[in-house]
Amino acid sequence: MKPLQGLRVIDLTQAMAAPFCTMNLADMGADVIKVEPPAGEDMRRGSTQKNGHSATFMTMNRGKRGLVVDLKRPEGVEIVHRLAKTADVFVQNYRPGAARRLGVAYEDLAPLNPRLVYCAISGFGATGPYAPRGGYDLIAQGMSGVLSVTGDEDGPPAKAGVPVSDLAAGLFGAYGILCALEYRERTGEGQFVDTSLLEAAMALTVWESTEHWATGRTPKPLGSAHRLAAPYQALRASDGYFTVGANTDKLFGALCDAIGRPELAQDPRFGDRAARLAQRAALVAEIEKATAGETRAHWLTRLDAAGVPSGPINSYPEALADPHTLARNMVVDLVHPGAGPVKALGVPVKLSDTPGAVDRPAPLLGQHTAEILTELGYSDEEQRRLRASGVI
Amino acid sequence: MTALEGVRVIDQTQVMAGPFCSMLLADMGADVIKVEPPDGEYTRRELPLAPGVSASFLAVNRNKRGMTLDLKQPEGVAVLKRLVATADVLVENYRPGVAQRLGVDWETLRAINPRLVYCSISGFGQTGPYAARGGFDLVAQGMSGIMSATGAEGGAPVKIGVPITDLGAGLFGVVGILCALRARRVSGRGQLVDTSLFEAGLALSAWEATQYWYTGEVPRGLGTAHRLNAPYQAFRASDGHFTVGAANDNLFPRFVSLLGLPHLTSDPRFATPRARLQNRAELQTLVEEVTVREPRAHWLRRCEAAGVPAGPIYSVPEAHADPHAQARGMVAEMEHPVLGPVKALGNPVKMSKSPPRLRTVAPALGADTDAILEDLGYGPAEIAALRKKGVL
Repeated sequence: MKPLQGLRVIDLTQAMAAPFCTMNLADMGADVIKVEPPAGEDMRRGSTQKNGHSATFMTMNRGKRGLVVDLKRPEGVEIVHRLAKTADVFVQNYRPGAARRLGVAYEDLAPLNPRLVYCAISGFGATGPYAPRGGYDLIAQGMSGVLSVTGDEDGPPAKAGVPVSDLAAGLFGAYGILCALEYRERTGEGQFVDTSLLEAAMALTVWESTEHWATGRTPKPLGSAHRLAAPYQALRASDGYFTVGANTDKLFGALCDAIGRPELAQDPRFGDRAARLAQRAALVAEIEKATAGETRAHWLTRLDAAGVPSGPINSYPEALADPHTLARNMVVDLVHPGAGPVKALGVPVKLSDTPGAVDRPAPLLGQHTAEILTELGYSDEEQRRLRASGVI
Repeated sequence: MTALEGVRVIDQTQVMAGPFCSMLLADMGADVIKVEPPDGEYTRRELPLAPGVSASFLAVNRNKRGMTLDLKQPEGVAVLKRLVATADVLVENYRPGVAQRLGVDWETLRAINPRLVYCSISGFGQTGPYAARGGFDLVAQGMSGIMSATGAEGGAPVKIGVPITDLGAGLFGVVGILCALRARRVSGRGQLVDTSLFEAGLALSAWEATQYWYTGEVPRGLGTAHRLNAPYQAFRASDGHFTVGAANDNLFPRFVSLLGLPHLTSDPRFATPRARLQNRAELQTLVEEVTVREPRAHWLRRCEAAGVPAGPIYSVPEAHADPHAQARGMVAEMEHPVLGPVKALGNPVKMSKSPPRLRTVAPALGADTDAILEDLGYGPAEIAALRKKGVL
């Protein structure tokens, strides 16, 4: 059994943030029903395809069932309303206002099912001056301060290479939904859960906001370095870079010994945490005098033996083939009904008794329409009529 | 009523990933008891604001109660076990092996309380070849591939400026804990929830893994650009950069029209999403020839009027001051007994019936030790004896 078995989630989502939210619920066993317009959601037309199936769509929608409904038709809205009566959770990421126009806003569905947990994930949230604006990960990274603290110290702007605002909004959404379900257990009531890319990205600036409030400084990008600790960054070896985090006196001493420069630990310039942070450039120059003389592999072996946290800077082919990645089941093989064998990332949180799993591929467009309508009590004849008139 | 009222969480965590996880539970009303060694956890010595008050500690320990306990003494472990008998959840982020040495590991504690959900957040997880290694955010960003996809192409290594694998592991931990609490309603049993910085880093790499698996291309740092869409990046204005996402066939014509470059939609180099991605550098050159002539504010106004998602690149203080961030409660003020008003980031999730709340600032060291012990049935003489032995 998976932990969310028996939980039904209606997924009216597009692109990344909200599909990632419901994907995490599907991994944990929820019955996630992806509702798409007859043409399919935009991601189905993504530029990267296998056998005519969009890679990005398959990635974000694994483990879900697929239902096609035209919400511009009253019969289509009726199907979603009937579905909502059977559901625990409803997730959408329309621009605020659009759900109301379609008749699938919280106000439309809550009277039909007062136990429904309704989650909206948008660029800026359902209220506030920018609520109607469209938002993308890049824009949220820019407006949250995340972009301003990423990149080279004096270089052009750089964003977080992975879309952290989208991903975090999806995870905060899942957290809100699961908390709302706990509330429902005690009260019997559903509610409206509302989060956004901008707020998710701001919530990720914990250290940076704190640094600003505590010191008055404006946090800057620091390449690979840490804003409150040193040495904690990428260091140069003879054949490239590797990472080292040696932010305590004990780890710093172990690092100095491991690189054959034990005297650095006694150097008054680097005598305590504050001094090492203040003298980071000089410190790193001294350390790299030693590390630049040998290969990454040499240093990683020595540092691992010395118990100093360190690691390679893997490319994705390296990261995805790493023995630890495979041992933790972070790469999963699936067979998609159209694309054939495909790979997917695994579940990053392991539950001992009722583990989640990635065991079903993304649905074909409308793959489960008949099955779901039958579950809802639509007769074959009704389904034929709906199909003939283009509602499904 | 809050969503997690009545849920008791024992928080044996340090620094960021674990404290962030349990803070999210505390924001939703859980009774989170932070258990620290008698000299306080590591973070209490960072960014001091007053004697014994650390800005970093305040940032991720709000809404918690605090007690001290020396787990290296058998009497300390005995107290913890009595506390465990009353708890629903325990969160720890020791290196794998440390909890066993202290005698507070999952196998030991589940025997005391079979309903306990025990969450371990570590660098690499409890199993697999790297399980025993210490892991920091930097190391996990390097090994998961994230650093290889962040920064400018060909530059020195750059990490995401915020500690995304710490934060991601905290979020996946929360999802795992809430799923395990849900499973407990059916099974009556708790379980082990095991996640890591490394796996969080991989799980946040959904697009990058997809790009590699489906195209064979190795994802690289692209500055601010998107790996699958263009234009979606920062552009230079006369007074700095701003962000724009206008990749799809609906937004691209609007964007080039407002730039006075409507002919680009019929230029074969930019006519389709795929062509725009392939010719991103040329497109950037043409766009910036126009955008450098006017300031950021001019282009942001024009983009907003045209419905093209765009935004400024804020520093952290600018992000805090933005009226939308303020309207959404993302910057809050809390009352600290020593410092008076202190700032805190709001919770990014809004809920209509059981909203997360900022109730109390992080506890002073051992602030609630006596109250918690009395609650467990310890008498004043016993508490005094424990204190005398240095257990508290």
